[in-house]
Amino acid sequence: MNKTISLIKTELNITFGLTALKHSFKQKKNRWTVVLISIALLSLIPSYFMLVKGLGGLYDGFRQIGQQSYFLMLGFLVSQMAVLVFGLLYVMSKFYFSNDIVHLVPLPIKPSQIVGSKFASLMVSEYITSLPLILPFVIIYGTKGYMGFSYWLYSFIAVLTLPLVPLVIASILIMAFMKYTNIRGKKDLIRTISAIMFIIFVVYFQLMINRITARGIADGENFLFNLARDANLLVNTFGRMWPPGMWGTFALVNHTSISGLINLVLFIGVGVLGLMLMIYLSERIFFDGLIGNTDQSSSKGKEHNKDSSKSINVNKPYIALAKKELIMLFKTPIYLMNSIGGVIIVPIIMAMSLFTGGEDMAPLRAIISQSKNYVVLGGIGFIAVMGILNSIGVTTFSREGNNFWIQRIIPITPRDQIIGRVLASLAVQLLAAVFIVGSIFFIASISVFDVLLIVLIGIFASIPMTMMGMTIDILRPMRNWTNPQQAMKQNLNVLIGLAVGALYVGGIGYLVYKVISRLSIGIIYGGLIGVLLLTSIVLYMILDKLIFTQFQELE
Amino acid sequence: MLKLEGISKSYGKSKVKAVNDVNLEVKSGEIFGFLGPNGAGKTTTIKMIVGLLKPDEGKVFVDGVNVWEEPLKSKEKISYVPDNPEIYDRLKGIEYLNFIADMYGIEKDKRKEKIEYYSKLFNIENALWDIISSYSHGMKQKLVLTSALLNDPQLFILDEPMVGLDPKSSFNLKEIMRHMCDQGKTVFFSTHVMEVAEKLCDRIAIINNGRIIALGTMEELRSSAKEKESLENIFLELTEDE
Repeated sequence: MNKTISLIKTELNITFGLTALKHSFKQKKNRWTVVLISIALLSLIPSYFMLVKGLGGLYDGFRQIGQQSYFLMLGFLVSQMAVLVFGLLYVMSKFYFSNDIVHLVPLPIKPSQIVGSKFASLMVSEYITSLPLILPFVIIYGTKGYMGFSYWLYSFIAVLTLPLVPLVIASILIMAFMKYTNIRGKKDLIRTISAIMFIIFVVYFQLMINRITARGIADGENFLFNLARDANLLVNTFGRMWPPGMWGTFALVNHTSISGLINLVLFIGVGVLGLMLMIYLSERIFFDGLIGNTDQSSSKGKEHNKDSSKSINVNKPYIALAKKELIMLFKTPIYLMNSIGGVIIVPIIMAMSLFTGGEDMAPLRAIISQSKNYVVLGGIGFIAVMGILNSIGVTTFSREGNNFWIQRIIPITPRDQIIGRVLASLAVQLLAAVFIVGSIFFIASISVFDVLLIVLIGIFASIPMTMMGMTIDILRPMRNWTNPQQAMKQNLNVLIGLAVGALYVGGIGYLVYKVISRLSIGIIYGGLIGVLLLTSIVLYMILDKLIFTQFQELE
Repeated sequence: MLKLEGISKSYGKSKVKAVNDVNLEVKSGEIFGFLGPNGAGKTTTIKMIVGLLKPDEGKVFVDGVNVWEEPLKSKEKISYVPDNPEIYDRLKGIEYLNFIADMYGIEKDKRKEKIEYYSKLFNIENALWDIISSYSHGMKQKLVLTSALLNDPQLFILDEPMVGLDPKSSFNLKEIMRHMCDQGKTVFFSTHVMEVAEKLCDRIAIINNGRIIALGTMEELRSSAKEKESLENIFLELTEDE
């Protein structure tokens, strides 16, 4: 038992970096990181309150049809589904792709202890997902319905145990998946296909939600009432498919009677039983999926017919660097999903939202059909935003991780560093441009000339966006990661980059909007290119200096 | 070829110096062994030479070039093999070698010749088309060695190079080092293996607690020590006194 507790403690410490955090807080230069995180979180508060206010209205809608309990069930469903979806990704990377696995497996501990400790730290991570979602539902229901002490007590217990069932399901699914896809030589293919299927599912889900909201919005004044009615239907259907949501709801709704208690016991009991089942299964199947994962197939010793002179190709340093960046991006699943997957998926989802968005999107579609210039400018802006959203520039030095020493000992100029890394981002941006232009074809008809304008200026705009990201990343590269996921998804630089990039694109967009009726479109394009060029030159000069000094200063 | 002028380094806010006022001069054509117990400051010193760690004080010159003022110029003359071969494990061996060769601007023919020669010598020629993550520690070490030899370095710096190498590769590496020195190049390496240092090095420095406590040829070290038999005894005697 002591082993498990020690594992959990270490696991939490690694995941949430308590030791590292203490250490870094002692150093002055890291303190502003804390300030930045706080600002980033604070900036989300207004929109979160809007959402909560909307939920209050939704509650009233449900009350009008006398179905408040479905409001709670909606909360449980949404939160538990979110935990499940994120859980699948978290479990995959935490159980199978984190570097500490290599050190844990040889220790005299059971698979269940490894899985158990990792599960415990995932539970804590999942609260970050589940609490902001479920709390408004529970609090609105409680305060608007003037609930008593037992309601709040039950809520507290239910909220705490909420991630249990979905996370158990995610763990079992992933463990089974890893065991049975562990087919020699084919596992990368199978896993890539599965990832694509997952993305398609997400897109489909997004479409469904669009349809429902579109229908709701079409009803105008009765929006919330109708939304409640529609949601009622949805909750009813999904509720039957997902009993834990129902138990949680009935535990809270009937908190004064024995039925509430029974449902609460069911809600927790099934979670605990599931956890025990998962731990039991982990003894049998965890290692099977894992062993195949660390043992890489190789053709050591096999005769290679490859002619070595064909494999030897000479490139300029910046080309070689760009190639290396792209190979790493394509061959690391986390990077592939986030950067390259992102630039493909986001435009498709946007186009589908517009295309299927029903009546509410009509005004937007009207604007689009009226003015080609808005479409072109919008397309350019979209590509530019993807330039920071693809996270390539803003994590370029962080992604080097333990290999950063190589970059620092090779005789490569800061100029080649900049060009090579920008080129890698632009190659991906070209893909983004293809998908963005393709998506635009769905909603507006544009000429070949327009397409050229969008692609050329859009790609050009991606240069300062990438360099903006690189500037942020070279100032505070995150090099001590054990799992590539940390370099990209848990990297604060990405968030900072998004904020700075959004400000930049937003600022230029606002300027264009202000002058578009007064100036000819040719001048606007000229001005736009001028601003982008100027930004690029300034950023290049900054980066040139920064890369030189940071490559020397970093320890 | 290599000159350290009073370099010092302490980590973080700690006042304890990991390397304290180290002065050294290594001549062209020399194999120089850098010895010391764990935590003595060997890796820190090496990192300051290759440009990975900026000294708090002092200067480093490679062939007259200040490493920290003209990094590019000095890096072109150096090759470095770290103690832990952390390299891009998603690349294939051949892709990594091409990448490094591109960085040093090595021509195609010379590149081909070197890759074929060293990969054969270290017996990794068949693994070059595999992804690096499938390599063993020793194979990665050999790949890093191969990549470090592509540019014919003037100054070859190695941190614990014998660790993880099989006897044959270890022998080959020693041969390479000897051969490089015959050509007037310089080899600077740290090691724990006294035997290697004793047999291979023209001169040896022993570092302890960040300071050089002995410097000279094997003969010179012997003459100043009480226990004169082996380098091991001299090493133990010197480092225990501290």
